[in-house]
Amino acid sequence: MELSDLQASPGEWLGGTGPEADIVISSRIRLARNLAGYPFFSTADEQQLGELERMVRERLLNTCVSEGMGYFSMQTMPMLDRQFLVERHLISREHAFGKGARGVGLALDETVSIMVNEEDHLRIQGLCSGLQLREAWERVDAEDTRLESCLEFAFSAQFGYLTVCPTNAGTGLRASVMLHLPALVMTRQIDKVFQAVSKIGLIVRGLYGEGTQASGDFYQISNQSTLGKSETDIIETIEKVIPKIIEYEKTVRNNLMQQKHEVLEDKVWRAYGQLKHARMIASEETMEYLSSVRMGVSLGIIQEVKMDVINELFLFTQPAHLQKQNEIQLDETERDVVRASYIRKRLQGSD
Amino acid sequence: MNCESCKEKDAVVHLVDVSNNSKAELHLCKDCAESQGATIKSHMQKSNSPKVATDELPAIFQNLPGVSAASETETCGQCGTTYRQFRSSGKFGCPECYASFNVKVSDLLEKIHGRCEHRGKVPSNASEQVNQQKELQALYAELDSAVSGEDYERAAELRDEIQRHQEGSPGL
Repeated sequence: MELSDLQASPGEWLGGTGPEADIVISSRIRLARNLAGYPFFSTADEQQLGELERMVRERLLNTCVSEGMGYFSMQTMPMLDRQFLVERHLISREHAFGKGARGVGLALDETVSIMVNEEDHLRIQGLCSGLQLREAWERVDAEDTRLESCLEFAFSAQFGYLTVCPTNAGTGLRASVMLHLPALVMTRQIDKVFQAVSKIGLIVRGLYGEGTQASGDFYQISNQSTLGKSETDIIETIEKVIPKIIEYEKTVRNNLMQQKHEVLEDKVWRAYGQLKHARMIASEETMEYLSSVRMGVSLGIIQEVKMDVINELFLFTQPAHLQKQNEIQLDETERDVVRASYIRKRLQGSD
Repeated sequence: MNCESCKEKDAVVHLVDVSNNSKAELHLCKDCAESQGATIKSHMQKSNSPKVATDELPAIFQNLPGVSAASETETCGQCGTTYRQFRSSGKFGCPECYASFNVKVSDLLEKIHGRCEHRGKVPSNASEQVNQQKELQALYAELDSAVSGEDYERAAELRDEIQRHQEGSPGL
């Protein structure tokens, strides 16, 4: 497969087809794995990293992954393509721009990606649309079991899977659910969610994971602890809390509809107006307006645009996506022009 | 192996002091270890974990006059990462670091995760290794109870068995 195969469609996970898709964008499971007998990425020298990447690539391609998976080396990949994969949530920023021999195995439907030489030797990720943590786990588990047949993972009976950072040891599993919570942000009640989830050992992260800011009212809820509980127990803890957050967001949206209807409608229509008529628009600004419009579509305030168009706009207005569609390198100002024009085109005819 | 102090009895306490990248070993019989301020019991209480050999325990150094405490310069024999380096970066150097810093790692994992025993998936090809570790765990438990019951003859046998086990196993 080629990277350009991914370009045309937004990826299964952003399809908006999963359960609770109006609030839950995606469910993600990642496993951290290291190979026995190799130094960790943190201490390995260039040659060792190169050998490891070559060996894993060969085994991935020849024997041990599901059919149709492609493999790409980071060193030979243009910067724009790397950024493109970050925007798709298929690789981390660190992986895209870090040093050393790195690579990624990708399933064409983007439900599975395997990062080679990220912080750990392998980071296996499963991504599903909506609230489908179990499905994401099943895919990742199957991929992990396939990999086990041709790679020996560093494992101890006592500590489980051994990882570079002890915060990932044990199962090596991080489960994340990405939520769109504009009403809770608007009414400044989001902090209550943060406090509540932290009490049950969960953490809130930004749009692109660890250390990133929330953008467009998107938040990721993930488990903090990876050791001492089974994979399904970890997933269950998150599965139990997500419906409560969904309900909270929906209640606040309904309250806004009833009590502050004009304020809410004004916010939604103004955002829609900006998107429909702007001639230059920056990435952050786009996220903000799209977030309000998304809530407006979900509440039926705006009926002329479909949710999947808004979902696609979140992705296709990102810098690398814009440049790949136009097959041209653009500076920031040029991007703002092209972005505004692209959004107008996508929203055209919806008056 | 004979006790390095009295040169007569079997050495049953094995101490390794790693500091400033140098390693000093001391092998003592029960009596000499006790006379130097250490009791086998206090040693064994610390050693109920399967991957800490009796000679890898820094805690006992603190009870011995003349033997300095193993500090954060403790080093992973496999990759050379020191505990101090780990503490500053938060990253281990290789899988073996978990065994090298076992006691500290257990405490640390307990702090991070609230637990320090894995309960999840086990790789299918790790079963032999895992079984070996479980056997070791059982031997350590037996060693603990032998020591508590002051059955030092049995403790010495078990110690040898543990040593054979560790030499025969490929490590982690």
